[in-house]
Amino acid sequence: MRLEKCWFCSSTVYPGHGIQFVRNDAKIFRFCRSKCHKNFKMKRNPRKVKWTKAYRRVHGKDMTQDSTFEFERKRNRPERYDRNLAVDVLKAIPKIDKIRVSREERHHKNRMKGNKAKVQKEAEKEYEQSIHMVKAPSSLQQEKIKVKVSQQQSEENPLMEE
Amino acid sequence: MGGKCPHRKVKKRRLSHKTDRRARFLIKGDDMVYDELNKPEEERKTLPVDEDLPGMGQHYCLHCDRFFANVAVRDDHFKTKKHRRRVKQMMGDAPHTQLDAELAAGMGMPDNGPKLMSM
Repeated sequence: MRLEKCWFCSSTVYPGHGIQFVRNDAKIFRFCRSKCHKNFKMKRNPRKVKWTKAYRRVHGKDMTQDSTFEFERKRNRPERYDRNLAVDVLKAIPKIDKIRVSREERHHKNRMKGNKAKVQKEAEKEYEQSIHMVKAPSSLQQEKIKVKVSQQQSEENPLMEE
Repeated sequence: MGGKCPHRKVKKRRLSHKTDRRARFLIKGDDMVYDELNKPEEERKTLPVDEDLPGMGQHYCLHCDRFFANVAVRDDHFKTKKHRRRVKQMMGDAPHTQLDAELAAGMGMPDNGPKLMSM
């Protein structure tokens, strides 16, 4: 049993799922669902469609080079069954998976570095620009002491106001 | 390619969508055109005389996979925006393949065994 990858979105295609198209030059295109098949028929380039793995890889959203990617591959050679080997492989799978997940998390964290400050800055700016929509400017001038308290509160949670 | 035809003599008859659908299978995919363009000059097939094609199949545009009636029409085609856009596209990155999809999914390069690898 071979688990194929979708041509368009790179997700796993399990037996009995999806559809495959064989072009008249004998090239096989596998699709995981009708969404991917339709996108292929529309001649869309997966590298330009944001939700595909190909896009995420090209644009540095996902981890690209890693030693954990060396395990899963298409093996075009017969393997003699060996029970000990099978046991070892089954033991190794969860370990490798754990390592990969942690590395992916680290990659995501690195990618999102500096994002928090940016979000905070944008929120503060929006708050200053659109506070008049919540409170009338005249009332802000009247109760100067009270305003300070409300500002502190709203700065902690600026998105709740909208 | 098939389908809509604005200058029909017989207005009553419906347009054939079936020919349109068939014609879609005859269009070469981007990756086929790309491979053809990247072949060395000697390997490219010479154009055989085919009386079903426009201009006996002698005036061909590799990038757009189209036949033309004569050299003048073909040279006009080379100047069009469509053709130039196509040339630019073909100069760029190689089209997406199944191998790209697999690499993006976190798989390694295919392992073909020692015998095939030495070739």
